[in-house]
Amino acid sequence: MTPVSRRRTALQILLLSAGFLVLIAVSVASVLLVNKARDDNAWVVHTVEVESQIANLLVEVRRAESATRAYLLTSAPQYLTEYQTATAGIPVALDHLSNLTTDNPAQVANSAKLRTAIEQRLAEFALGIDRVKNNDAATSVAILRNNTSTDALEAIAKIGRDMRAEEDRLFALRTATADRTQVFASSVTIAGSCMVLALAGFSIVLLRRSSQARDEAEARLLDNNLNLEATVDERTADLREANEEIQRFAYIVSHDLRSPLVNIMGFTSELEELRGDIFKRIATLNRSASMALAMPDDATDTAEPELEGSDKQLSDDFTESLAFIKSSIAKMDRLITAILNLTREGRREFKPERVDVRELIESIVKTVAHQAAESSATIQLGALPNMVSDRLALEQIFSNLIDNALKYLKDGVPGAVTIGGRTKLGFAIYEVKDNGRGIDAKDHQRIFDLFRRAGTQDKPGQGIGLAHVRALVRRLGGTMSVASELHNGSTFTITLPVNWTGKNRDRDS
Amino acid sequence: MSDPVTIIMIEDDEGHARLIERNIRRSGVNNEIVPFTNGTEAIKYLFGTDGTGADRKGQALLILLDLNLPDTSGIDILKRVKENKYLKATPVVVLTTTDDSQEIKRCYELGCNVYITKPVNYESFANAIRQLGLFFSVIQVPPAAI
Repeated sequence: MTPVSRRRTALQILLLSAGFLVLIAVSVASVLLVNKARDDNAWVVHTVEVESQIANLLVEVRRAESATRAYLLTSAPQYLTEYQTATAGIPVALDHLSNLTTDNPAQVANSAKLRTAIEQRLAEFALGIDRVKNNDAATSVAILRNNTSTDALEAIAKIGRDMRAEEDRLFALRTATADRTQVFASSVTIAGSCMVLALAGFSIVLLRRSSQARDEAEARLLDNNLNLEATVDERTADLREANEEIQRFAYIVSHDLRSPLVNIMGFTSELEELRGDIFKRIATLNRSASMALAMPDDATDTAEPELEGSDKQLSDDFTESLAFIKSSIAKMDRLITAILNLTREGRREFKPERVDVRELIESIVKTVAHQAAESSATIQLGALPNMVSDRLALEQIFSNLIDNALKYLKDGVPGAVTIGGRTKLGFAIYEVKDNGRGIDAKDHQRIFDLFRRAGTQDKPGQGIGLAHVRALVRRLGGTMSVASELHNGSTFTITLPVNWTGKNRDRDS
Repeated sequence: MSDPVTIIMIEDDEGHARLIERNIRRSGVNNEIVPFTNGTEAIKYLFGTDGTGADRKGQALLILLDLNLPDTSGIDILKRVKENKYLKATPVVVLTTTDDSQEIKRCYELGCNVYITKPVNYESFANAIRQLGLFFSVIQVPPAAI
């Protein structure tokens, strides 16, 4: 689950960065290509300009030629002026052309040749003009009439054609380049956009998939939660059932154990009575025998017959045996009664109610005041948070613990019992602390077991109190623990929910 | 002369039965005791073969009933006796080891006359039986009234 999602996140980031990179590349390429296209276009414009300049130049040359001829024919000064303007513009146009064609070595050569040809031509014009001025127009006219074109004219025409051709070629080339650049630019833009779109699409697919996975996981989690709840309920029901069964079992067992015990006790008592009768009879027989032997006088029969010697020993043995049987039965009866009471306690319905714990403990302390005074023990109460719980159960818990604290004091040390409490995270924690004889660490578990006790057995008890307390604490939804060292006092800690709602009780009992 | 009261003792534990009998005798009650060790036979005796109880009509009876019987529940017998028109006036003494207040309450609700917990302590047991003896003598005085 986790590595998959991590991989997915990494891929997502990768995609995003790839998208950005593509965008940047496309932008840079676009800028470069746009610049290139601009350059290309500039070159195309340049070509056109060169062509128009050539045309311009040739027109100027023509104009100069026609002005020259007109002047030749008419000798009108206006044509002379025109000739002068035209010839004045030609070198400027020629310079301009040369400047424009510096980039192309072929055109540079051509323009140089053109310059020479035009200069030659201009010289021819100037010669013509001079002839007119010297009134020798006839020669020029003759030359014209013979139509003997000069080298310069041909050269101009040829070079002009060449240059045009060259510029045409360049125009075609440059237009093609410009077109290619534009096509390339648009292709790059389109390709980039497509890539970005593809990445975005992929990203969306991934996002969709991951959200789907999340939804599935959520559904699974919900499912698991439900299952867990069901399982917990099931287990709880099982446990409750088992607990009830154990309680029923304990109840039945203690009942059934009691029945034969009634017989044992009853017939033991019968035996006791029989013993009285038997020994009385033995005593009587003995006495009558001894009386018969001693020829009795008027000894009174009212005197209680008494046993002597071995008979007395026999009677004492009999009594001792019966006493042991009876004390054992009494003990067994107490144990069975205790189990019965425990099971009955387990079947009692607990009622949550608001309990003033201080008041409750103070009333317990009052009832044990005599016991405390006897063993010169003091009981101190600290902070005691109130809570909602079963009052009777709390009473039993605290009175058992306080009773134990007072019961198992250290000899020769005045007892000091402190009871305190605090609340933490919805639980009330109470501590009953004494400076008594303490409990060995190996007995910490044992003291909570039914009928088990620890340490010097010099106090009466059945080993039920703490088992009972722990059972009650559990039923109230809490836990209890002990911290103690031998000879160094004990601290019993009880943790109970502050607001017990009765959730942990056995509903069916 | 009136009919002497017959004591019907329904008790599965023979030891208990014997102890009860001895103590009854010891406290000076000499009425006939008819013992049963299971519920089925006791029911057959009490209600007759037809189950109506007509056989026992007019007889002066006292029932000592143990609640823990192997075949039927003593509570059921108590219920049937108290529901039967011929037997409902018969005093029933419930004798059991249970001292559960719920069960005691239930027995009294069903019409049990006395509920005695079988104690292990012999002294108190004898005391209970003696009280039972007193009880017998009380009901023996006006036997015709039944």
